[in-house]
Amino acid sequence: MDSTPVKHTFFSPARIWAIATNTLLELFRLKVFYFLLIFALLLIGSSAFMIDFNFQEQFQLLKDVSLGAMSIFTWLLSVLATAMLLPKDIEDRTLYTILAKPVPRFEYLIGKLLGILLLLLVSTLVMSALFVAALYGRQQFVISETIRTSAGMPAAQLQEIIRGVRTSTFTFSLIPCIAIIYIKAALFAALTLFISTFASSWIFTIMVSVACYFIGHLQGIARDYWLGSATTGPLARIFLALVALIFPDLQLFNLVDDIVAGNSVPLLLFGKTAALGGLYTFIYLLAAYFVFASKEL
Amino acid sequence: MSAISIRNLTKVYPIPFRRERITAVRNLSLDVEPGQVYGLLGPNGSGKSTTMKVVLGLVFPSAGSTCIFGRDSREVESREEVGFLPENPYFYKFLTGQETLHFYGKICGLRGAKLRERASELLALVGLEHARDRRLGGYSKGMLQRIGLAQALIQQPRLLVLDEPTAGVDPAGSREIRDLILDFKKRGITVLLCSHLLSQVQEICDRVGILHKGALIREGRLDELISIENQTEIILENVNPEVLAQVHSFLSQSGGRILAQRKPQTTLENFFLEVTADSKK
Repeated sequence: MDSTPVKHTFFSPARIWAIATNTLLELFRLKVFYFLLIFALLLIGSSAFMIDFNFQEQFQLLKDVSLGAMSIFTWLLSVLATAMLLPKDIEDRTLYTILAKPVPRFEYLIGKLLGILLLLLVSTLVMSALFVAALYGRQQFVISETIRTSAGMPAAQLQEIIRGVRTSTFTFSLIPCIAIIYIKAALFAALTLFISTFASSWIFTIMVSVACYFIGHLQGIARDYWLGSATTGPLARIFLALVALIFPDLQLFNLVDDIVAGNSVPLLLFGKTAALGGLYTFIYLLAAYFVFASKEL
Repeated sequence: MSAISIRNLTKVYPIPFRRERITAVRNLSLDVEPGQVYGLLGPNGSGKSTTMKVVLGLVFPSAGSTCIFGRDSREVESREEVGFLPENPYFYKFLTGQETLHFYGKICGLRGAKLRERASELLALVGLEHARDRRLGGYSKGMLQRIGLAQALIQQPRLLVLDEPTAGVDPAGSREIRDLILDFKKRGITVLLCSHLLSQVQEICDRVGILHKGALIREGRLDELISIENQTEIILENVNPEVLAQVHSFLSQSGGRILAQRKPQTTLENFFLEVTADSKK
């Protein structure tokens, strides 16, 4: 056997990939994907409430429920799965054995985050597939019902109705909508990873991350209110600027609601929101590295 | 070049929300030469683990420096030559023995056939071939220690740092680990060993350092440290009482004195292993 020792390189995508796939395998074997069953049940359950609606309302309800659930589930998964990664490795001392190898700390963090992003990607794709299947099933049901109840209707008129059903079901804008859900979850994974680098326990990490979620959603409203008031002093303005810098304005990610409501979202706005999500993910990862690099284990 | 070189190492931990500080290691200097088995001893809280962690770059020195084969421990490259087994390691319970070695091999830059060969070789070395496809969650304490040793050796390091490698392991497992360490020594691997099992340290270490309250209070070759200079031990076999009486008489005439006369004893460990081996037959 070749006994030549492997020379260390400053940056190794292969090392990062090894840590990322190991993280994904860990979460997979912890059976975190079971939550997808809840998602599937939710989709089936929501059909029970659709009997009295017309087809546009049925599709709207299905999209509301599915994309809303997808948004919450991916966010929850990103926070819960990330919060335990670092504390668990420290508590079990597996982190010692990894960092005692020639692995730079930034590669360890990138690997862990990449593992979570892969998990979120797989989950989002599976949920999207379930969502599309449910939507397609509902579409076929509506079409067959329309044909059954439209006996004697002129063929051209029937075709027009069916075309209307089809265009109400799938729209191109569902793709950026799902992408925004994923980017928001990725941002929270990076934020949670950053919190876990200095938090004393995973419960604390989860609590702070959830608090950030609410701050992120409310800061836009608070900023509009305070900055609109003539009595707001310079200190309050500085405070608001700081909050706006540290926490992303999650109202911007409410594009999802607009898309579900049927409003068209310009590609540029989608691009800006995606870039903002990517930028915050990078900033939180960088902040996590600065804390973790000097952390004594 | 020393395998490990520690110069004037001091490590101070601040206590959060207080002005107090704890000095875990104070002004420690020592060298571990290549090929040696070095025992770092001391009571709990004496600074052994902190010293190891500084050597491995897991914590940072407040003053002084540590080097591995001439490279500063703070450089990631210094860990190319090190394998580490922490006290009571858990590893990833969801991985099998083989997957564990593959994971550690990959982060050391090993790939493909070379990695698979190395993993198989190490599983054979630590006697875990039969459990290669079993998840670590189902491993006994002794098996975990052995897979820990295997992962420490995956990139063929020249230095092994072992923190209490036999903690919680039964006597037979403990003996196996001891034999493995002696085997590493034969292969020229330097070993830094922390252990409370002084009898085991005495059996395998060439040199020891004793830490107490963060300071090195004794250091040197083991045989020099523990030998009693003005006494000589003679073990006799098949000697009848008359000859023994003559020896006593001769010694007393020459000014010497027999301090103790007893039947040589085996160690409790040997006795235990013998008895349990018999009962297994």
